[in-house]
Amino acid sequence: MGESNVADGEGERYIYSYDMTENEPRRPVAVVMPATVEEVQAIVRLANERRTPLVPFVTGQNVGGLTIPQVDGAVIVDLRRMNRILTVDEDAMYALIEPGVTFGHMKRYLGRHSPGLRYTYPLAPPFTSIVANALLQGLCDLSTRRGAMENFINGFEVVLPTGEIVRVGSGILGEDNWFGRYPLPDLVGLFSGWQGMTGIVTKMAVQLWPKQPYVRYAALFTTDEEQTVGLLRRIVRTQVLDDADCMSVSLVKMLLGAEPPVDIYPDEPQYATLLTVSGQNELEVEGKYQAVAQAVARERSRDRRVNLIDWDAITVLMGRDANSWVDFPSDAFKILAEYDGLTWVGTYVHPARWATALKRGREVVERYGFELMAFLKPMNGMHYGELKFIVRFPKDPETIERVRQCNSELLDVLLALGAIPYKTPVWAARRLLERCDSGFVQLLRRIREFLDPNGILNPGRYSL
Amino acid sequence: MTSVGAIERYLHNCIRCGTCKYLFRDYRPSCPSGEYFGFETYYASGRIGIARGIATGDLEWDETLLRPIFACTTCGSCEVQCLAPHRDHIVEMIEELRAQAVERLGALPHHRAFAEKIQSVHNPYGAAHHGRRIATKLDLPRTAPVVYFVGCTSMYRENEIRDATLHILSRLGVDFTVIDEYCCGSPLLRTGQAGLAVQVAAHNVREIANSGARVVVTSCAGCLRTLRDDYESLGLSTGVEVLHITEFLAEHLTREHLTRMDLTVTYHDPCHLGRHAGIYEAPRAALETIGVETMEMSRNRANAWCCGAGGGVKSVFPDFALWTARRRLEEASETGAEVLTSACPFCRRNLSDTADGYRLDVRDVVELVDRALR
Ligand SMILES: Cc1cc2nc3c(=O)[nH]c(=O)nc-3n(C[C@H](O)[C@H](O)[C@H](O)COP(=O)(O)OP(=O)(O)OC[C@H]3O[C@@H](n4cnc5c(N)ncnc54)[C@H](O)[C@@H]3O)c2cc1C
Ligand code: SF4
Ligand code: SF4
Repeated sequence: MGESNVADGEGERYIYSYDMTENEPRRPVAVVMPATVEEVQAIVRLANERRTPLVPFVTGQNVGGLTIPQVDGAVIVDLRRMNRILTVDEDAMYALIEPGVTFGHMKRYLGRHSPGLRYTYPLAPPFTSIVANALLQGLCDLSTRRGAMENFINGFEVVLPTGEIVRVGSGILGEDNWFGRYPLPDLVGLFSGWQGMTGIVTKMAVQLWPKQPYVRYAALFTTDEEQTVGLLRRIVRTQVLDDADCMSVSLVKMLLGAEPPVDIYPDEPQYATLLTVSGQNELEVEGKYQAVAQAVARERSRDRRVNLIDWDAITVLMGRDANSWVDFPSDAFKILAEYDGLTWVGTYVHPARWATALKRGREVVERYGFELMAFLKPMNGMHYGELKFIVRFPKDPETIERVRQCNSELLDVLLALGAIPYKTPVWAARRLLERCDSGFVQLLRRIREFLDPNGILNPGRYSL
Repeated sequence: MTSVGAIERYLHNCIRCGTCKYLFRDYRPSCPSGEYFGFETYYASGRIGIARGIATGDLEWDETLLRPIFACTTCGSCEVQCLAPHRDHIVEMIEELRAQAVERLGALPHHRAFAEKIQSVHNPYGAAHHGRRIATKLDLPRTAPVVYFVGCTSMYRENEIRDATLHILSRLGVDFTVIDEYCCGSPLLRTGQAGLAVQVAAHNVREIANSGARVVVTSCAGCLRTLRDDYESLGLSTGVEVLHITEFLAEHLTREHLTRMDLTVTYHDPCHLGRHAGIYEAPRAALETIGVETMEMSRNRANAWCCGAGGGVKSVFPDFALWTARRRLEEASETGAEVLTSACPFCRRNLSDTADGYRLDVRDVVELVDRALR
């Protein structure tokens, strides 16, 4: 790798010891930046021989403390130099990418080289890793229709903790063949959701989709939790939506430029949902939009405060930011970049429990005096939803402690409702594993021991 | 100047989102330092993180911090891309951190060396002090409404810029003079050595006052920023209008003075002139007036890629400085222009130092204007 790609200065050890969350920092002994799969393999082999803990890292923005070493003596493997988009297969519609490729880079690349195709983008900063987010089963602006990002993985190449390079998915039959995962034993699951504990993925095939020529956006304003969730369920079940982002109205007010802390008054809408429909022509889009409008009209006949507002009207209020929000949500994430601290308790949760979860979570957040920034996204055609309470905060010791207590209570509330925490910090994983089916925990341990007999990859993560 | 307290004021604002690493909504690299060194520490967020760690006591001063703290050209591109509340103060925070580093660990040897030269002969190159020899040679008056502040790099290294500017001012019939100038202080301020900067600034302010000038013109982007903005932060004021030569030309140069030139030119925005002083159009206007065909590089104006020389980088990290310049030369070559022009002697120097192998003639805007006036 060369000396210039290894660092053990106090600056690097400090900067790679924390992230934006309240999770306890810990310093690695060094940081290395491989550029090729061979270099990754050499690092892993050496680490396995010497029993050196390794922590894969791309940008450290998982909002779960997932790149903070859990043991002393760890080496961070920063994969940012592996940032090539290797191929875009127009026929099978996938891109083969390295872990350092970010959403921003993918957007630029497709815009220039494959304008007929699109990827899917989260409300995360533009320069976060696609591969890492797919492995973390994250969500993005097609998730209401298509589910978590793991669904879009066609396969990958991975360096095992013992140093072997293996492939999963149809790419096992060679290059130019990364069209899917089935029909095969689905070994993606040995690595996805494991937070870098079972292997370092060095290239991944991710699905792309035809870019729809006609897209229409609207904002839906609703009042309390029951109404919001009930209407959202009816709309999503029409199956016409690409995406739906439901959030506390305070988030929308911030997007409109309101200064924090933002007040919400009892008689105004409490939730706003951004809805997206698309199609091949105006007629198709109009038909889909009308399906949404009809559902809203029925609710509005009971409560005049419910409103569906076309995005053009929102654009007048919000200006340029309105376009960026719908075009590339990353460009709108800035409302979350107020302080050095950002955290959330995020979960995937059963649709029947959304309203209760929103209400109970709200009580907790308000009791701790944080701004209410709830976020709910119906996922995978309405089979489940992502629900999180976002807290942005200055990282002073007193606030950090308050955040810890607030998150702890939020997690208890949500676990009691059967919600599964996502991008799970160690403390939250511990609580999940204490409650869940014990056979599952045993199986996790056995798989981990099998793949990583010396426990070198991200030891301590997921409280395993 | 490193306004006291920027780190304190923005201690809890950088979320480390990495938005400053690339051009906003364009997604190409913006930070030369991060691109070259790679580790998180070498981006704005890394430096802000170090500043925060030091301020909160989580991080102790250590020699290994000096590299990430000083390997930054202070180009300011991160400020353009960042969306957070501290966005306009990132360079200020980095410079404040540098001042703290100098106080605790001492200046880097190269930086200390040029400070010593400034102390003894008033310029960072260690050349014999020029005084007002040009004034004698050109028979310039002791007082005049306009002062041309030459700047050390033009005076002692990139003489073509000095000579072109002097010639332009004469040809345009401007009643001007030069003063017994000391280094403006920019290299000191950029490298955390503000103490000496106050001394040279005080000298220059006195000289400008003695000249009776109402306007000071510089041909150096660094001098411009320093005289115009930093002196005020140091508690001093020149009390006159400070203009870059291209701003001055916007008022004084007309087509009737000129011979049309058949040249294709691309313009590189110097960081100190563009992002730091907000001057993007005046140099372009000067090029338009002289009638050359201009072709924009794809990263231009506020998004321009740095030449690589600033922030004390050229002396301490020469390979990084030249690597950064080569990225710019490549971008300039892609335009197909014959001439790569800039409006800062430091850019000219660094870009020409590695221009071999590129079919580009590196020139300052004033050199082209001068040619058009001959
Ligand atoms: C303000 C904000 C908003 C966000 N909004 C969203 C959102 O809307 N939707 C969403 O899904 N996410 C969101 N995120 C989270 C974030 O975008 C993702 O978690 C991120 O894309 C992961 O990339 P990263 O570069 O941060 O990975 P890192 O944090 O560097 O790594 C994440 C995990 O993956 C492991 N890992 C990394 N690379 C590899 C590899 N090659 N092989 C194996 N393991 C690996 C690491 O060890 C770690 O456990 C948001 C984040 C922020 C800061
Ligand atoms: S400086 Fe701004 S853009 Fe860069 S990481 Fe910090 S908050 Fe983000
Ligand atoms: S000033 Fe320039 S080199 Fe320094 S951190 Fe900002 S973008 Fe990078």
